[in-house]
Amino acid sequence: MKQLFKSVAPALAALAAVAALATQPAAAKDYLLTGLKPDKLALVDIGAREIERIYTIPDGAGAGPFTITPAPDGRVAYALVNHWESVSGIDLDTGEEVFRANFSTGDTRIKGAIAMEISPDGKELYVFQSPVKLLLGEYQVQDTRVAVFNTADGIGAEPVRTFPAPRRTALLSSSTDGKKLYAIGWDITAFDPQTGEVLEVLGVRNWDRENYSEPDVLDVWPQWEQASTFSTPYYTLRTDMSMEDPDAWKTGMLTLDLHSGEMVQRDFESTAAIIFSTVVNPVRRNEAYGVYTQLSKIDVAKGELVKRIDLDHTYYAVNVSSDGSELYAGGTMNDIAIYDTETLEKKGEVRFPGGQDMGVASLRVIER
Amino acid sequence: MKRLKSLNKKADLLEKALDREAGQATDQTAGEGKSSDPNDGQTAVEEVYTMSTIAGCTSTLDPGWEVDPFGGTAFLCQPMEADLYGCSDPCWWPAQVPDTINTYPDWNAGAASAQHDWRKLQSVFPKGDK
Repeated sequence: MKQLFKSVAPALAALAAVAALATQPAAAKDYLLTGLKPDKLALVDIGAREIERIYTIPDGAGAGPFTITPAPDGRVAYALVNHWESVSGIDLDTGEEVFRANFSTGDTRIKGAIAMEISPDGKELYVFQSPVKLLLGEYQVQDTRVAVFNTADGIGAEPVRTFPAPRRTALLSSSTDGKKLYAIGWDITAFDPQTGEVLEVLGVRNWDRENYSEPDVLDVWPQWEQASTFSTPYYTLRTDMSMEDPDAWKTGMLTLDLHSGEMVQRDFESTAAIIFSTVVNPVRRNEAYGVYTQLSKIDVAKGELVKRIDLDHTYYAVNVSSDGSELYAGGTMNDIAIYDTETLEKKGEVRFPGGQDMGVASLRVIER
Repeated sequence: MKRLKSLNKKADLLEKALDREAGQATDQTAGEGKSSDPNDGQTAVEEVYTMSTIAGCTSTLDPGWEVDPFGGTAFLCQPMEADLYGCSDPCWWPAQVPDTINTYPDWNAGAASAQHDWRKLQSVFPKGDK
């Protein structure tokens, strides 16, 4: 009997292990979420290098989805569509539209001006809006604002509250605890999203760096979800040096830790290239990567350029895998290029077969 | 220059600025004191350039598609099609590509691929009903 048990025991143990695996949920995988012209959302199983599903957004035709904000649980994707006048929420399991907010009312044309964010609990959607009254003889520009929607309000959602926000806001980004909503534009204004109270203003254009000009910053790409860190390049000029000196022109990285709230601005090179958008590695957190026509790897802690390679074409957006090993360049034309974060060698690509352009759609990573 | 006629407001201002600078140079040569230009250190021509720069969704003609920030072409988007919808969708250079947010919303309808469909894209003209 003892002998029998000995021979059967390994098989029983293996069966038990299989049973345990069967009862556990499958390990979450990384998926990429982006937009395609004129009215599509694309979900990509990036590990398999395959397009998982293409969704058509109802009444979404226009220039194409621009800002895409996934729900924290990865089940719904909210996209700015209809020439920036609507947000559509698509259930990524069923493909059904489960949320819709049309902004314009009566004589007031309201554009969602790119910036959009969702609260960490997934209950509230924040949209930066720019309203204009279209009167018979004139257009009256109204104050810009953040409109707050309850995601549970579904189709036909109306703002549950609004609060004023600076014009030129290009991104909205929530702190990880949901207590601050950062409006990123000429400066970074931190709001209490419940009351609209301004909690702090972090200087960007109005920074206080001796012997530096105002920095130039252009960032409309929400891609901070992996490292919980907003990052953007900035370009500036040393005012204590001759403008004829190439070393007077500096490129640096601004990082804003969405957990601690700490903002760091550190130069890393004398300006030698253009970078449109960047992402921070969630594992090796000192590393950031920037794209445009070249791919740059930057050590943000040391303020050093580590490596730079030429890309096959210009990409606007970049994101990174959850394990920090792969980079995904997209946001232009119709392919997503995959690069190794260590070596910057190209590992593969995913091409959308219809050839549709991504325009300037966000490139987000979700886990499902 | 006198045989050329300025076609737009900026060119007209530029021509006057050149005349003003030429006049000031003559004055200084004649020993009649310093320039009366209130923007000391900025020439009249530079002032025209500065005051003609418009930012945002307007009829600006900034360098960007023609010349990169370094004065060359190496850092322009490659290829141009990679940048085409990235500029028209957010109304970045509406003088070069139509504004698809408000004025010409259907400019790229039926042309989802900039790379393959660019021949379908047409020029736009002011609308009579606006």
